Amino acid sequence: MTESASGPSSPPAIEADGLGWTYAGRSRPALAGLTFRLEPGRTLLVLGPSGSGKSTLARALAGLVPHTLTGTWRGRLRVGDMDVETTPARFLGERVGLVFQDPDCQLVMARVDDEVAFGLENRGWPRARMEARVPEALAQVGLGGFDLRGTATLSGGEKQRLAIADVIAARPSLIVLDEPTANLDPPGMYDTLEQLAVLARRREHTIVLIEHRLEAALPMADDVLLIDDEGRQLTFASADSVGRRAVSLLRRSGAWVPGAWSGVDVPAAGIEAAAETIAARPVRRPEQALLQAVDLGLDYPSDESGAHRALDGVSLEARSGERIAIVGPNGAGKSTLLFVLCGLRRPTRGRVGLRSIAGAGGGAGGAGEKLRDPSRLRAGEIASRIGLVFQDPELGFVARTARDEVAATELAARSGRGRALPPPDSDGVLARFGLGELAGQDPFRLSQGEQRRLSLAALIIRPPAVLLLDEPTFGLDRRGTESVMTLLDELRATGQAQLLATHDPRLLPHCDRVVALDRGRVVFDGSPERFLAEPPYSPAEPWRSGTGSAAGLALAAGTGSAASAGPAASAGPALAAGAGPAAGAEVLR
Amino acid sequence: MSLVPASLGPIRPAFLTRVTPAARLIAGLTWLVAAIVTLDPIVPIRLTLAAVAALVFWSGLPLRRIPRRMAPLGFAILSLTFFSIVLAASNGDRSLAAVLEIGPVRITAPAVSAGLAIGLRVVVIGLTTLLVFGPSDPTRMADSLVQQWHVPDRFAYGTLGAMRVAPFMADDWAVIGAARHLRGIGAGSPASRIRDAADRLVVMLVAAIRGAERLALAMDARGFDSGVRRSHFRELRVTWRDWLTIGVAFGVAVAAVALPR
Repeated sequence: MTESASGPSSPPAIEADGLGWTYAGRSRPALAGLTFRLEPGRTLLVLGPSGSGKSTLARALAGLVPHTLTGTWRGRLRVGDMDVETTPARFLGERVGLVFQDPDCQLVMARVDDEVAFGLENRGWPRARMEARVPEALAQVGLGGFDLRGTATLSGGEKQRLAIADVIAARPSLIVLDEPTANLDPPGMYDTLEQLAVLARRREHTIVLIEHRLEAALPMADDVLLIDDEGRQLTFASADSVGRRAVSLLRRSGAWVPGAWSGVDVPAAGIEAAAETIAARPVRRPEQALLQAVDLGLDYPSDESGAHRALDGVSLEARSGERIAIVGPNGAGKSTLLFVLCGLRRPTRGRVGLRSIAGAGGGAGGAGEKLRDPSRLRAGEIASRIGLVFQDPELGFVARTARDEVAATELAARSGRGRALPPPDSDGVLARFGLGELAGQDPFRLSQGEQRRLSLAALIIRPPAVLLLDEPTFGLDRRGTESVMTLLDELRATGQAQLLATHDPRLLPHCDRVVALDRGRVVFDGSPERFLAEPPYSPAEPWRSGTGSAAGLALAAGTGSAASAGPAASAGPALAAGAGPAAGAEVLR
Repeated sequence: MSLVPASLGPIRPAFLTRVTPAARLIAGLTWLVAAIVTLDPIVPIRLTLAAVAALVFWSGLPLRRIPRRMAPLGFAILSLTFFSIVLAASNGDRSLAAVLEIGPVRITAPAVSAGLAIGLRVVVIGLTTLLVFGPSDPTRMADSLVQQWHVPDRFAYGTLGAMRVAPFMADDWAVIGAARHLRGIGAGSPASRIRDAADRLVVMLVAAIRGAERLALAMDARGFDSGVRRSHFRELRVTWRDWLTIGVAFGVAVAAVALPR
């Protein structure tokens, strides 16, 4: 511990002067003209919309840009006394630790102690020092005693804290975290931010934190760097001086701000047209249950020593036009439930029934139609009744261009018979959702936000009666989230019932009902207002509004009164806006 | 579905867990050679007995757990044995007495013997794999190959990283199939099913390559293969246990082949 006190060195921790970077093969720069100076021991929060080059800055600080990735460099960047452009990556690597977004893509070893030691081995540390340092680093992130655990058995939050232990083990002077909480459930996010706040307060390391969620990250930041979607610097200022001006800049930039979604935000240009189409309130046919699940039970395979069932007595009904949020910690059974509801897994007990919307193009549909077991439906029958959008939209793409992707379900449903019919209007759908220019693109080449929108746009022409979504907004900034919700509103207007498995408490006010799972059981079924007021989990803090309460930190003064009073207050405006079932649409307009 | 245990570290501290993986690999190879160079079933039977004894007494794997670990090979063992017996050339030799005759199918004693010899060899290969890889996790194997045989870091730890990510590919395959099924795509004629499988494979490979790129970037960010000489958190030392293991294994292999049958 004594050694690390010497961490902060004399020159500024980071000095950027006109820094720019263009990836090989791209015409637009990822970063342009960044100029700022960060003193050692301070914590810098980097904010900006998706695609603004925040990750590129993280990679540059660690020397991956320009040394591992190829492109064109401009300007100057110094980390401590090293010039990034001319210093070999391995010298930078000794000073800079980089934590990525997805914990599953950065853990290398199967066992926790090996994992922490990996970076030290690469740097040639003697064994005796490693043996002393590994447990120390684990203890610093609250993972003391985890040495012999398998990395695959850790929860998301534990994995991300392990990734932080990996980098602090080598005692870097600079730690760079690229959206470290984007993939975590509320308790994992809470854990991770709490450990980060502790780390920031110790001031042994300079920290660069990239985070969409201002309300969670601002309290621990000393300085703020704001980048726009062209990769240009909008502002660099101390966190204390970030006042209303910066908040309005942020709103425009698409980052999340405290009390976001209070309805005053201007929707992004491409989305406005789409928002027009949801002017009409969702058509509600309250009498018709499109999905009915009765007493679902699913046992884990016998060799998994699960003390609880994957699903245990879950009953659920979704009516036309209804939007239900399914929440719960990782492993609560949310994804399993979605798989059972659409017939991809058979429950051990209970049954699921689906019906198509009366009068919809499904053919046999009608108010009197019987509920059908999804696992017995033929491929041609199932698409009209239920759809599933996965957390990772990439895996769901079925075509080579965005245009074909949007038409695919319709063409499969016609299955050759409809050659005489005009082709589906894919371009029209894409244009309406701001994807018009991308019609000829390979879905795999789109950004994360574009992929999510395309996966929903692909359901517009032939919408299923029930739509299941696994983490529909995960990893998206505010602008991305808004456009996804706009699409969902349009789909709901067809009478669709929607079930969203989500970790994002900000979506709850836009749902009609919340169903909370814990260890395979339903522990709550009621209004979002009631859920947010009294989450059925312990501890309850992470589940309250957003991450405003994370790490028990109050917001810095001057960033807006709504959020500064803590979790209950920051839930206020969102709740007021989401009071009615159709309010989601209004808020988005 | 793997012969290598999913649990990490030794099941219980057993003799073979304290033998370096490289020594276990050499010891195992002597048995594989012995099993392959012989044609009769006697040698594989002897080696099978020796391997089971070694698993139970020196690697700490309880007898009742062995069948489950061998299950992935079950189909291969049974089908190989069956077809080797049924299709053996000696079945057509009318000078040999038939052990079994059902209609046109005629089976002779040499065919049974040769078929059993082939099936039992696969049993020996499976059991030896358990002895070599079972007592420690894959990380130790990579450490051992790098430290003792000077296998390049990039190859050994790169492979290790890939192995850790491999289970995600199975999940991806299922998710891809589910997505297509729910959109009503891929059903129909056998030709369209084949096309569908090819499309699924492309999507899975693209996802796998993406994952590998991200992992490689994360490894580079932590200084992997940056030109610094790597040190080792777990140093493997060659001890008398290694030499004893190799010696005993070699002795058993020679005895299995040389003893009168």
